[in-house]
Amino acid sequence: MDNKKIRNFSIIAHIDHGKSTIADRLIEYTGTLSQREMSAQVLDNMDLERERGITIKAQTVRLDYRGKDGEMYCLNLIDTPGHVDFTYEVSRSLAACEGALLIVDAAQGVEAQTLANVYMALEHDLEIIPVINKIDLPSADPDRVKQEIEDVIGLDASEAILASAKTGIGIEEILDAIVERIPAPGGTKEESLQALIFDSYFDAYKGAIAHIRVMDGMIKKGSKLKMMATGKTFEATEIGCFRPAPMELAELGPGSVGFVAGSLKQVADVRVGVTVTSAEKPAAEPLPGYRGVTPMVYCGLYPVDSADYDNLKDALEKLQLNDAALVFEPETSIALGFGYRCGFLGLLHMDVIQERLEREYNLKLITTAPSVIYHVYKTDGEMVKVDNPSDLPDPTTIQHIEEPYVKATVIVPNDFVGAVMDISQNKRGEFKSMDYLDVNRVMIVYHIPLSEIIYDYFDKLKSSTRGYASLDYELADYQQAKLVKLDILLNGEPVDALSTIVHVDNAASRGRQLAAKLKEIIPQQMFEIPIQAAIGNKIIARENVRAMRKDVLAKCYGGDISRKRKLLEKQKEGKKRMKAVGRVEVPQEAFMAILQID
Amino acid sequence: MEFGVYIHIPFCQQKCFYCDFPSFAGRERFIDDYLLALKEEIHKTKSNMGYGQDEKLQPKTLYIGGGTPTVLAEEQLEKLFQLIHEEISLDFCEEYTIEVNPGTVNENKLKLLKNAGITRLSIGVQSLDDKYLQAIGRIHNAQEAVDTVQLAQLLGLNNISIDLMYGLPGQTMAVLQETLRQALKLKVQHISIYGLQLEEGTAFAKMEAIGKLQLPADEITEAMYDYITSELPQQGYERYEISNFAQKGFYSRHNMSYWQDKMYLGFGSGAHSYWQGKRLQNLADIPSYIKAVPENNWQELEEQVSEKEHMEEMCFLGLRTAEGINKKQFSQTFGRNLEEIYGDVIIRLTEKGLLKDKEDSCSLTLLGMRYGNQVFSEFLL
Repeated sequence: MDNKKIRNFSIIAHIDHGKSTIADRLIEYTGTLSQREMSAQVLDNMDLERERGITIKAQTVRLDYRGKDGEMYCLNLIDTPGHVDFTYEVSRSLAACEGALLIVDAAQGVEAQTLANVYMALEHDLEIIPVINKIDLPSADPDRVKQEIEDVIGLDASEAILASAKTGIGIEEILDAIVERIPAPGGTKEESLQALIFDSYFDAYKGAIAHIRVMDGMIKKGSKLKMMATGKTFEATEIGCFRPAPMELAELGPGSVGFVAGSLKQVADVRVGVTVTSAEKPAAEPLPGYRGVTPMVYCGLYPVDSADYDNLKDALEKLQLNDAALVFEPETSIALGFGYRCGFLGLLHMDVIQERLEREYNLKLITTAPSVIYHVYKTDGEMVKVDNPSDLPDPTTIQHIEEPYVKATVIVPNDFVGAVMDISQNKRGEFKSMDYLDVNRVMIVYHIPLSEIIYDYFDKLKSSTRGYASLDYELADYQQAKLVKLDILLNGEPVDALSTIVHVDNAASRGRQLAAKLKEIIPQQMFEIPIQAAIGNKIIARENVRAMRKDVLAKCYGGDISRKRKLLEKQKEGKKRMKAVGRVEVPQEAFMAILQID
Repeated sequence: MEFGVYIHIPFCQQKCFYCDFPSFAGRERFIDDYLLALKEEIHKTKSNMGYGQDEKLQPKTLYIGGGTPTVLAEEQLEKLFQLIHEEISLDFCEEYTIEVNPGTVNENKLKLLKNAGITRLSIGVQSLDDKYLQAIGRIHNAQEAVDTVQLAQLLGLNNISIDLMYGLPGQTMAVLQETLRQALKLKVQHISIYGLQLEEGTAFAKMEAIGKLQLPADEITEAMYDYITSELPQQGYERYEISNFAQKGFYSRHNMSYWQDKMYLGFGSGAHSYWQGKRLQNLADIPSYIKAVPENNWQELEEQVSEKEHMEEMCFLGLRTAEGINKKQFSQTFGRNLEEIYGDVIIRLTEKGLLKDKEDSCSLTLLGMRYGNQVFSEFLL
């Protein structure tokens, strides 16, 4: 295919601004899928994605479209996730494109997450086409939104397309704009092959499959290829594009987006960001890669049934095949036994992985409270990184501790400025700036500890702004803070998996609240269970779970047996979701209790 | 082949507030048709089992329960006993029980029961304090309950059981103690005593949902349990099942068969049978049952109990009794020893002091009875 006829683009949008629906309309309009084949949000094909209305994995789809000039064009849409946790996926996708649609909701306007992604697209020198969606809403105010796009992002919005994915308004205009305004990709067939791997996934039959963007040269079926980073060579046994199901092609030329499968057993072989070249006539230089992905949030994952330890390992390995951002290594807890310390991009990422493990791999898991990575400077001058509170060295050997801070950007209607400031101040945030986006929308920037963000900052923000606030954050720096380890003792025994690191000023109240919350969560047992919160040797809070003094069905005669059996089964099922810590049966959610306190 | 027979009489003058049994008030107009259907069901069941036209069932125990069997008028009761007489032989019957509501009997009815061959009465007393009887929807007062027991005794019915309840709305420890003191004075042979449980669909469950039910605090019902389970044995009533206490030789043989994995046939609407490895259940709605019997489809449910379920049930039912799981019965039934299946569980629960493991049986300790559900659920495979 002539690369003058190719357009590679992605879609940038805040959650709920209609990215997936626009993508659906483009697929439908170009006849890539028939009406019959369409299911809502075709590209979000994970159950979790549909249920939560989010995109987690990037997807690509090739659309064939006859432009106004009568020529056929091949438009490659590279769908991207919208949530802050998945920013790295966005950056990868953008590197494979020449342009992007910027979708902004005609009523809501620009949101924090949109901003972050647009800046990223601008860094990649992409041509950006603003699209104002949902103009059929009664509350739509496209002029105000145009003004916002100009003022906040600094883009010319005079040619912004007014659209409604719901009714189909503007879809053709979007397709024409893609053809006319987004530059065709460069590159020539004659050059040595340089193709960028921007995603990968594992197929049980075909092995690891790389999503690639060819920059220069050609890939043909049967080509001998080489990974530039590792030198590993392989044969392209299958190449093709996505429509959105994989479709085999004979070749992929410069500018093309598609996939290549070879004798690649592991996804580790097809590391994202690596350049693929020809084994016979390799390119001199690899393409610029990506910044490595570093997890920001860690937690322990433990099987409720210790016999599932190996299954958990297999499941994590399988998930990692499609998720380079997931890291894990074995760890042991006195309370929970053998498990894995896992690193995630953020809380949503953690949630998604945990849910997929439980759902797709049928594992019952205990997740410990998430922790950030602390830099602990010891008196002997050594610095250790601690991502598990129970690994915190003896306080007497600690000189000081630093914790990660983020730059948090919040966009809200100006009525809620006070609320945002209150919450941020309570979360140890330091006010940085405040700017009006228009007469009633404000962008507020705080410098705030990441640990506070992962607790409940966003929930609090949402609830006290009636859902209007949008949040984006990026790692800023590490700062010294007075931090202490808060321990929990059940029945007099410290439970390592319940330890958390907290700011000294919050320690007493967190301790009290956590003990009270645990009292609610831990069911009555045959004996009384004291719950204590302690800092060092000092007990700062105490609660008691009263002993249950009887638990027996009063009656069970001939007609009761089947019904009573169901009750017993339920009781047994409930027990399965608990972990015996010493003599105490502790429900899974207890280990996340810290997230449920105010 | 040993088996018991249960006959269900689903009629009540009024539905008690805690009751989730298949029983109905205001359906008395169906009684005559019901009795016809009942006879037809028993007769058809017999033919299905290969009995000859005049051959009778020969159960080891016979139990007429409800509902309220004694809500039937005298002529209706006579009809009931007549149809039983035609279909069931009492020649091998060791125990013939009927449930009695004190608000529905007089001397004539009691005589009628005695003449029909009834050997045992199970009288629903529940409380001996009018305030609480009213609060739970009973149709009789305390005096009527006492009178019924004494009258039956005078008539020579000398195997009497009474049902009592504790943990009733507003009930205090002192009230319960007084009821128990009065009950002991009656010198009955058997006492069943149940903690109130809120069952789905009952009036109490609905009241609870709208916050109108004031049940005693857990501490109080626990103390009541402690009192009852220590007081009754001291007064000569052996605790032979979690909620059942009897003087020597007066266990309920019929009820024991439920816990000992014995077979039983249940007749009447909503009745359950356990027969040759199957559990069966009849339609509970009275008119539906009456209509279904002539059409031969009166059963609502029939399920084969799998070997796994059978093992579980033999255990969690057996454990309700003082004698516990009969190890010989287990190995004879399944061809494997109890220990082969439950060895780990038995060791663990014995260590916790919940089980007594002996040569030929495995039973709950006193502590185990208190936490029965925790033990039972461990016996689910």
